Amino acid sequence: MFYFRLFATYVRVGILGELEYRANFWINMIQSALDLSVALGGLAVVFSHTDTLGGWRPEELLALIGVYFLIGGLIRTIIRPSMTQFMDQVRQGTLDFTLTKPADSQVLVSIQRIEIWRLVDVLIALPVLATALVRLGTRLGLVETAVFAVTLLCGGLIVYSFWLMLSTCAFWFVKVENIQVIFMSMWQAGRWPVSIYPAWLRSVLTFLVPVAFATTVPASAVSGRITTSTLLGTIALAAALLLVSRWFWRVGIRFYSGASA
Amino acid sequence: MEQDSVIHIDQLSKIYTVNEREAGLVAAMRSLVKRKTRAVQAVDSISFSVNEGEIVGFLGPNGAGKTTTLKMLSGLLHPTGGSATVLGFRPWERNRDYLRRMTLVMGQRNQLLWDIPVIDTFELNRAVYRIPEPQFRLAVDELTDLLDLEPLLQKPTRNLSLGERMKCEIAAALLHRPSVLFLDEPTIGLDVTMQRRIRQFITDYNMRTGATVLLTSHYMADVEALCKRVIVIHHGKLLYDGELRGLADRFAPFKTVEVELRNGVRGLPLAQYGELMAHSEGRVTLRIPKAETASVTGRLLAELDVSDLTVQDPPIEDVIEHVFNQSPDPLDHPDRQRPPSE
Amino acid sequence: MFAYYPIYKGYFRTALMVQFQYRIAMLIWLLGGIIEPLMYLVVWRTVSEQQGGSVGGYETNDFVVYFIAMMMVSHATFTWIMWEYVYRIRMGLFSVMLLKPIHPIHSDIADNIGYKFLTLTVMGPLTLLLAWFFEATWQPLPWTLAAFVPVLILAFLMRFYWEWSLAMVAFWTTRIDAMNQAYIVVGLFFSGKLAPLSLFPEIVQRAADILPFRWMLAFPVELLLGRITPRELLIGIGAQLFWLFAGYLFMQFIYRAGIKRYAAFGA
Repeated sequence: MFYFRLFATYVRVGILGELEYRANFWINMIQSALDLSVALGGLAVVFSHTDTLGGWRPEELLALIGVYFLIGGLIRTIIRPSMTQFMDQVRQGTLDFTLTKPADSQVLVSIQRIEIWRLVDVLIALPVLATALVRLGTRLGLVETAVFAVTLLCGGLIVYSFWLMLSTCAFWFVKVENIQVIFMSMWQAGRWPVSIYPAWLRSVLTFLVPVAFATTVPASAVSGRITTSTLLGTIALAAALLLVSRWFWRVGIRFYSGASA
Repeated sequence: MEQDSVIHIDQLSKIYTVNEREAGLVAAMRSLVKRKTRAVQAVDSISFSVNEGEIVGFLGPNGAGKTTTLKMLSGLLHPTGGSATVLGFRPWERNRDYLRRMTLVMGQRNQLLWDIPVIDTFELNRAVYRIPEPQFRLAVDELTDLLDLEPLLQKPTRNLSLGERMKCEIAAALLHRPSVLFLDEPTIGLDVTMQRRIRQFITDYNMRTGATVLLTSHYMADVEALCKRVIVIHHGKLLYDGELRGLADRFAPFKTVEVELRNGVRGLPLAQYGELMAHSEGRVTLRIPKAETASVTGRLLAELDVSDLTVQDPPIEDVIEHVFNQSPDPLDHPDRQRPPSE
Repeated sequence: MFAYYPIYKGYFRTALMVQFQYRIAMLIWLLGGIIEPLMYLVVWRTVSEQQGGSVGGYETNDFVVYFIAMMMVSHATFTWIMWEYVYRIRMGLFSVMLLKPIHPIHSDIADNIGYKFLTLTVMGPLTLLLAWFFEATWQPLPWTLAAFVPVLILAFLMRFYWEWSLAMVAFWTTRIDAMNQAYIVVGLFFSGKLAPLSLFPEIVQRAADILPFRWMLAFPVELLLGRITPRELLIGIGAQLFWLFAGYLFMQFIYRAGIKRYAAFGA
């Protein structure tokens, strides 16, 4: 409850801070629209030469793009800004202020910066998803909706945990902002179903940089092609990564304060 | 005595391992394979206690280990050896109850959020420290009053001057009414008026709340105005712990004698009385070993045509400089002075 | 021209040393440039296989070679200067560059070439690895190989001049993310990065002829694939020279205006 209120305060402050830069809304709007046009343009060109791609129909890929933008929007709104700020704090020594606060440092760090205008990605994702669903003609029942929500949540958690682990490396290596580039580079591959990639790349995108769980899996939930084992595996992975990243964060903090030295 | 000490540290030490980097491409390649490391003793078994309500100046040149010590006391760093308790807590366990009762202000670093109005950073701290609304209002009002924050609260941090920012930083750090304050160079880079302002505020806060303050500063004016007691460290070792006044006696056993001469200074063999520090037409400043003060002033009065003569302790800056220029060997001072109980 | 030789030598040396310091970052930055073509390679290979081995005049193997070549050409010609300038101006680093008695573009070019030189150690083997993995076959024509060298250099220079000029917008506003993005997206569609241009509708292809992007990327790539006739080669080089000259004029103009602005407002 306390952390929920804390989060609400951060969101409020985030909105206030971003109101200062109202132009950002339009800039982000343009950027997101451009991003979407690449994604849709890519689809259009591909499907002007074929009917399905690796067994995925255009509507299903549209749903995938919707999920890609939805999760991408959350990454850009909260995860990336907060983690970037965290790395800056390690470098500038202002992380000390966070650590002297009487609250969980991981939570404080993870929600500390919210770039509210980036939510336009989410706004853009919704009509895309809606269009895809209408075209698919699937009636989302309670079960399907729940499965989709769960996979989406798990996808978000997996991405967050992964990103937290990357960022935690900042305790050891000061110049790691570029580590985020690893994720963002791999992330763009999530616009396509991972099943089309050759096996080695598919493994990379599934296990090394868990893009597949955040994009392909929820999208397959929408189009009803998800299997129970995939669903359970996704939930298990989300839980495991959450715990591992938590542990790694603790190790990082201990290192930072010289406890393990 | 020992029981009501708020801060108590005993043989506290910190050793860092640092990477060494050499210049040049070849060295850079070599460092790929093997990094050279070096152990640096930042804090070397220092011990002291601070009582409730005391304001203690923590002095030392850059790299003496002041900040490292403050970081250990505020729970940011684990010591390599020794022990410390603050308010009965071991700081580096970072007990939430401890964190709620202390604060750390670093003059060179900001915790205020850059783009949003100051009051909103305060709001964040309210949420983080779980300060009840009425108490928060009270604290904000009080701090606004003491620090003249009224015109600043609605401005984003980036629009504030350095001094204004520091006032707000301090206010943000005190909203939860901590009873222990660690202030690391709180006045650095500020102009003289603002320094005086902050100093006055620290005194006020200390008087009102009885908070314990451990402060580092490069400005002797801060130390002179705020601290009766100082702790001096150098190369991580404790050199002196006692009254500020005693520092001069101990490390600068000399006095400054200022003489005004009726017939000017020209041609007078002044150097035979003491070290000539400054002279202008009719005025001379001499540095004289303390033990000889009486005899030298006697001779001055007897042998020269003196119209005025004053004997002073040397300025504290000079004393400190003198301390740090001496070879730092604390073995010469095994009997660390305790603050005299008054 | 030769007066610049020792200067470039010096720049080059420091650029190499600096970039060696950032070797990890350097490798990481490569990743984006590898993933993107790889992604489209896989997509188009899949499409081609589904359509019985050929789409729009490209066979499956052609797509593989096309995107691997695209990866190399794109890597050889790309710049990061548009982001660099925002950073420089924000941090006030640009003033230092202005104090030097030489046009700042030279150190940027040396920097870029230094980076490319170092990263060749990764990109070279990677290309072979990908070619082996995707079982690419490629028979180069000697004359296209010979023509490829000047074409690539021209592509590099024209891209450098244009992107360097666009980077100058940072003198007016440091919030140019959307502009950079727009440049990249337009480039994606018209440079042949997304798919070979002949797979696009007619109208896109005609637009690509007029815009500079195709001459920066698709043209050298198609040349390597042997899909360019000698006549097209001459037209292409003509287009490259035209855009290079236009870029040069634009650079002169915007740089002067930018400096004036910088001097008036400071950093």
